[in-house]
Amino acid sequence: MSTVIPYHRVNVLTGIKSARLIEDAQEYAGLIQKAKRPLLILGPLLLKSSLDGRLLIEYALDIAKAANIPICATAQVRAKMMELEVKPDSCYDVVEIINALKDPNWQGVKKEGNHDLVLFFGIRSDLGEQGLSVLKHFAPHLKTMTLCKYYFPHANYSLPNFRKDEQWKAFLESLIDNLKKGA
Amino acid sequence: MAEVKEITRKLEEIHKKIKAEIPWEPLGPTPMPEIPDLRNWDMRLLKTYAPFYAPFCDLCCLCTYGKCDLTETRRGGCGIDIGTQQARFVLLACLIGCSAHAAHGGHILEFLIDKYGPDKKIDLGGSINIEAPHIRTVVGLKPETLGDLVIAIEYVFKEITHLLDSTHMGQEGSCLDYESKALHAGMLDHVGMEVADIAQIVGFNYPTSVADTPMVDLGWAAVDKSKPVILFVGHNPATSTVVIDYLRENNLYDQVEVCGVCCTALETSRYSDRAKVVGPFSRQLFFIRSGIADVIMTDEQCIRTDMPIEASKAGSALIAALDKAMYGLEDASEMDTAEIVRQMVDDKKHFAILDPRKAAEVAAKVAMEIAPQRRKEWLTEDEAKELATKCNVCGMCEQVCPNLFNIGAGIAEVAKGNFDLIREQFNLCVGCGKCEAECPRKIPIFKIMQIAASKETWKMRAGRGPIMDTEIRTVGAPITLGTIPGVVAIVGCSNFPDIRDVAEMVDEFAKRKYIVVLTGCSAMVAGMWKDADGKTVYEKYPPNFDMGGVVNIGSCVANSHITGAAIKIANIFAALPLRGNYEVMADYVLNRVGAVGIAWGAYSQKAASIATGCNRLGIPVILGPHSSKYRRLYLSKKEEDDWKVMDARKKEIVDTGEPSPEHLAYVCETKEKAMVMIPKLCIRKNDTPQGRAIKLNHYISLHKKFMGGGLPEDIHLFVRRDPDIPLVYKKEVREYLQKIGWQPREPVGLPTLIGTYPSKVPVDAVIH
Repeated sequence: MSTVIPYHRVNVLTGIKSARLIEDAQEYAGLIQKAKRPLLILGPLLLKSSLDGRLLIEYALDIAKAANIPICATAQVRAKMMELEVKPDSCYDVVEIINALKDPNWQGVKKEGNHDLVLFFGIRSDLGEQGLSVLKHFAPHLKTMTLCKYYFPHANYSLPNFRKDEQWKAFLESLIDNLKKGA
Repeated sequence: MAEVKEITRKLEEIHKKIKAEIPWEPLGPTPMPEIPDLRNWDMRLLKTYAPFYAPFCDLCCLCTYGKCDLTETRRGGCGIDIGTQQARFVLLACLIGCSAHAAHGGHILEFLIDKYGPDKKIDLGGSINIEAPHIRTVVGLKPETLGDLVIAIEYVFKEITHLLDSTHMGQEGSCLDYESKALHAGMLDHVGMEVADIAQIVGFNYPTSVADTPMVDLGWAAVDKSKPVILFVGHNPATSTVVIDYLRENNLYDQVEVCGVCCTALETSRYSDRAKVVGPFSRQLFFIRSGIADVIMTDEQCIRTDMPIEASKAGSALIAALDKAMYGLEDASEMDTAEIVRQMVDDKKHFAILDPRKAAEVAAKVAMEIAPQRRKEWLTEDEAKELATKCNVCGMCEQVCPNLFNIGAGIAEVAKGNFDLIREQFNLCVGCGKCEAECPRKIPIFKIMQIAASKETWKMRAGRGPIMDTEIRTVGAPITLGTIPGVVAIVGCSNFPDIRDVAEMVDEFAKRKYIVVLTGCSAMVAGMWKDADGKTVYEKYPPNFDMGGVVNIGSCVANSHITGAAIKIANIFAALPLRGNYEVMADYVLNRVGAVGIAWGAYSQKAASIATGCNRLGIPVILGPHSSKYRRLYLSKKEEDDWKVMDARKKEIVDTGEPSPEHLAYVCETKEKAMVMIPKLCIRKNDTPQGRAIKLNHYISLHKKFMGGGLPEDIHLFVRRDPDIPLVYKKEVREYLQKIGWQPREPVGLPTLIGTYPSKVPVDAVIH
């Protein structure tokens, strides 16, 4: 069990099973590429924050494109994606997509079967962590991964608490490069 | 045989208590229901709206078998699993909430019966005959006096005990049964709240049978700090009303400023429109640390547990006036008044004083003595800048912030003389004070926030209590037919992601001619915004319970009047008997009354029980993002779930395939998403084509506004026939429906769940 304390203390783990912390973008890319039916869930924080002048949603779309991952747009993310001329593969709010994912018989956003790896990006950390908790306990048929700046104990794979945005940006860029190479 | 005798004896007892011989309405099947009596109704709801558990903690630490790890499929020493443990916690939360309101009601009743006797008549004015829809429906009693309310509250107390018993280790082993019990607790909560508010209205002469209640001053800057200031914090007006009486009787009311935080403020302003409403719970610590209050009087519920420490820091005197929170203070209820005042003034001592008259006298005297000696100035920008210079942006404050924002960045900007960011952040602050406690450099963040807090003042309408029967007669038809698109109840606490969201939602839906009702802290913050003409939503929209109205119902306990209005629609407009007839009422509301609750800043256990009570009555609730921490939602899976209803006229079960209302308890991350969900959750199977078209018009237009154009992907599920399609989107919707191969279906004449699950209620009971 990791002893990493989440950046936002509201998410401190009271349990025994916590996320594997991964800092290596290549390893992350490998896990994504190994998945048969990944899903990228995008939250509204991606519309608010930038890294080096580039909105986070743009990194998210690059990741989706590089690894051909279908997107689930939550909250009002769809509006921004339409503005960027990208149609999301599906629109659910975060509790709805999690409710669907926890059903092993759900056919997924592409109707090809439930997803085996779900990536979370841009959901406020307390809500995101609660969602990850649902999947940890009730969805043993899939793995979860986070792309946000902080450590999420309830995920299967999480990034560390990046102290600086530059570290996070470097990770995301490296992840995109690795995914492109893998493709 | 013995069982039959026992049931007969119990029924006889119930009939005696509720005066069953008085034939004001035929008695339904479930007067004073016990845990199993409405279980089948609950299970029917839970079949479609399955509990969705988000464990907040993977462990159980309730007994000495533990700590038990319940991760994934593990079970605790007693056999409990993680889902059932969440359900148990939900029940506990609902019981805490229900107890808080019921105990409040019980205390107020005791206080008022002591003053007026048990025979004091309940009279809510000429426009309210159905005075207590919950008590009539659940208990089966038509309360005529304060003494009758005691019968109702004692029933609630008894049920709470049985429910709490079920949370003991090693008992209930089904999450669904725990949910049924939580729904029972929620239903009881609305009875308890109704008792409390009816007693208050009767005992304190609050406004009733009137829509146009007085406008009261709102905001911390509305408090005249040049006078001695008494601040009430909490929920129970037994204290504040007595203080005002004392001031009036002694001709001191002009000399002393009276104000309140949280629901006590709402209650006090119903008693006297001169009382100022400082703001919601989230501004409690901020205002206390401003030092403007000379005397702080606490009663119960939403009050800080560190009040004596905070009061001392601010140099304010503290009186704990109710036994719910005595803070370890000396009980001075029997002490000589002059001596209490001396010790409070000279020795800066705080006391618990449980005798309201004595507490009132002490508060007035202490406030008048200490006020002239105290400095009560807001911080200046220069002082704030100086205090902020110590910040080295370490980020510790951000890590503990429950609203996850970086106040340190705002403080660092203040040090540079830039106040823009902290002004923005003040709208996000939920007022817990953790940031300041965590700061390694002991920067007084809350004090610095004084320069961020607007010194603007606002007007809000005083709470008005129950919806009038006359109003129900007017809106009953348009609500159930759908031509009033919905009742949007924005209620409860102040754990908002952004305090500005509430007024924005009120404005959006009042503009769209929904009926918007408000209670509690949400009623306050709705008023803390002005439009371009300088008007708050209370000044901009009419106060009537009618389309486009913005109605402040009152405090937390007044929430019972919102759900009560839904029952009244069934009883007054549809003429369905309500007495001991809960299932029929709830079924009517679920299928025909387009109402939705929004608890955008819910934090308390009371909010959990209020919402769960709404759910049992068939009213869906949208919660803000923090509320995922309540651990449980009730979600459907759209068309995959069971949307069968009985057509009561044809006596046929019909598979409508229509997810209306789609969810019963739902969390949204943003206000934009919430504003798209609200019109959708107002859709009901009973809508006429005209009503459905109006509702879909709002659903589509809000989707286009906030979700980037296009049509909602599930629009086809809510269009039954072509006339349901709103005129303005006719072409676009028709094209979409054609593209996906949509087929029209007949609306159900009289939709009901009765007849689709085992129930003592015959289908004919829903026909009016």
